[in-house]
Amino acid sequence: MNLVAKYYGSAFGKRLTKRKVVDFLTPFAFLSPSIVIIGLFVLFPVFFSFYLSFQKWNMFSSQSTFVGLENYSRLIADPEFWQVLKNTLIYTVGTVPLNMVVALFVANELNKRIIGKKFLRTLFFAPVVISPVAAAVIWRWLYDPNVGIINYVFDIFGIGSVNWLNDPDAAMIALIIMGVWKTFGINMVLFSAGLQAIPEHYYEAADIDGAGKFSKFWHITIPLLTPTTLFIMIMSMIASLQVFDIVYVLTSGGPLGSTKVLVFQVYEYAFKFFEMGYASAIAYVLFAILFIFTIIQIKLMKVKY
Amino acid sequence: MKKTTILLVVALTYFIASCGKGEKSPSADGSKTITFWHSFVASTIPALNDLIKDFELEHPGIKINAQYIPSGDALIQKLITSVQSKTAPDISWLHADFMEDLVEADAVFKMEEFVNGENGLPDGELDKIYPALIQYSSWQGTLYSLPMEATNLALIYNKDMFRKAGLDPEKPPATWDELREYTTKLTIDEDNNGNFEQVGFFVPNYPAAGPLGNWMVWQFSSFIWQAGGYLISTDQSKVLYNEQPGVDALTLWKDLYRAQSLNKFTNDYDIAFASQRLAMAMDGPWNLPRYAEIVKDFDYGFAFLPEGPDKRATVVGGEYLAIFKQSKHPDAAWEFIKWIISPSTQAKWAMTSGYLPVRKDVVEIPEFKKYLEDHPHFRVFFEQMDYSQAQRPIDYGGLEIYRHIAEAMEKSMLGNMDVKKSLNEAAYKSNLLLDSKWGANKK
Repeated sequence: MNLVAKYYGSAFGKRLTKRKVVDFLTPFAFLSPSIVIIGLFVLFPVFFSFYLSFQKWNMFSSQSTFVGLENYSRLIADPEFWQVLKNTLIYTVGTVPLNMVVALFVANELNKRIIGKKFLRTLFFAPVVISPVAAAVIWRWLYDPNVGIINYVFDIFGIGSVNWLNDPDAAMIALIIMGVWKTFGINMVLFSAGLQAIPEHYYEAADIDGAGKFSKFWHITIPLLTPTTLFIMIMSMIASLQVFDIVYVLTSGGPLGSTKVLVFQVYEYAFKFFEMGYASAIAYVLFAILFIFTIIQIKLMKVKY
Repeated sequence: MKKTTILLVVALTYFIASCGKGEKSPSADGSKTITFWHSFVASTIPALNDLIKDFELEHPGIKINAQYIPSGDALIQKLITSVQSKTAPDISWLHADFMEDLVEADAVFKMEEFVNGENGLPDGELDKIYPALIQYSSWQGTLYSLPMEATNLALIYNKDMFRKAGLDPEKPPATWDELREYTTKLTIDEDNNGNFEQVGFFVPNYPAAGPLGNWMVWQFSSFIWQAGGYLISTDQSKVLYNEQPGVDALTLWKDLYRAQSLNKFTNDYDIAFASQRLAMAMDGPWNLPRYAEIVKDFDYGFAFLPEGPDKRATVVGGEYLAIFKQSKHPDAAWEFIKWIISPSTQAKWAMTSGYLPVRKDVVEIPEFKKYLEDHPHFRVFFEQMDYSQAQRPIDYGGLEIYRHIAEAMEKSMLGNMDVKKSLNEAAYKSNLLLDSKWGANKK
């Protein structure tokens, strides 16, 4: 019998005894610290900011004023918002596929018999655990037009120097490169796990059939990795759409607003200008986008698997 | 048994979670403790501690508990939280931009209540403080705070480079035209490859939304005043920075910025200056010790900012002390502020911290006079306070309006947009904002 039935009896007919009530409540008592924390710091803010998105509030005054959909209509009329939304999507479209390709490539290479595999894996994973702020400061130096090593290398190959962080066309590329570097490690680990779960005999059978390296990769590895790939795609997309810390440190949204992303704008309106209502409205637009993407991807996953 | 254990565990968890929330108990000896929030940089802390020690010696019943809070966004965020959670400090350091929100939340006392109160200031005492600082300490014409120190912006220049370029090292650029001329002479491209080995004058350009955006506009406002303009109209109903003086000032900045390809130059102008890649820059007195430390083997000086087409002017800044209504001992807090702005404290504070005094009559104190003679760089800043612009601080939406100006600057300097167009665009946004703020206020 399953545990629930054994402990609580079925809900039909049986009388509740005090013992049963206590037993039922016990796990919640144990969980209560987490429930309180999650409720207070996750669930409450989620609903409160939804409420705030219809309000005007500067955090200082004791009460907010109801403004209806004004925050949302202001958002639609604000050209800056559309620019920021575009930047966020460019960043996402730029990072997610590149991230996955790099992660899969590295994971696949490291899945072979090579020396120093564990060391290399650690090396590639290291950026994930470095503080994003520290990493962005390092990259700011790498990108420096005068003393940065990237331009130094470019000069050697005669490519000419790129003004990474001060050129509106180059700044987003700089951000994407750093974003991929910072996050592909975790996807590499996930891909590695996926690769190891593929049974060896598929490859052996393919060998017997005389399949080449590429066709083995294309016809066995890729299809069998699909669940992992979809999962990684959803997670990377969610993370990319919410990028903030590296933008804040690396470019501060500049030059000319070319790297300003949604969360950065939320931060700016919420904690610089103290327009909590408007900031919440932006946050809820981001929520809607994330929600739609996730639904689509979950549907995709269900159709196939 | 089991139940008791569970209860204990849960109770203990909550107990630990709620620890540290308790109210501070009043000190045993009956002295009043004043919590004072500030954001002084590490190098100023010893001077601040000395200052507080002096105060406590003179006022045995009052203890000052100075707490460092990171400046800028962190300070205002913490102030908001503390006001809402009824844990506000007695006194806090403020930036002028915070005044709007704090006053609207009814969080701070009107300083006038203390100034005109029983233990107030003698008549005419406030007039001795630089008027520009009093304007910043006020909001909508009412005094809510008092300045603790002053700063302004001057020109630092490399005298050796002046000599090499055939310029008189004792005659820094005195006008905008000279600034243009000297900048050209001091900008050198040795190998003619389009990259300047030496840059004449650093014009700041930072991302508008970044942490340095305000600092850029702050510096730029000096030039608007030099050209005879203002940021905002007297009645605060519309911005004026897009009028001719603003256009002239930004044109000067844009020309200098683009002529020197500063978009390829580092933003660490102080390091560039110390490594002799930069001839002139603007900076405040707080960086004097830094230059003394990093500049080696060359001769440099400070000068007033060049005179504009209309007049000589420099932007002033400072930090302002306000007393919070949640304070338990507002009178003791006032005692501290009153003591801070007194001439003798100001003289000592200026000499130990490197900030400028908030009042001119400090110069009558012999030690300070001597200090000025011994510190010519500091003296430039002190004397330039005479040209501190009695500006009009922006009462509503100051931070957002600063952002609009910063965007216009970025667009014209980096994006090569027409100066007039970019300023007009920004002013349109600022005026919309002012309309909505004033509209909301009239309701």
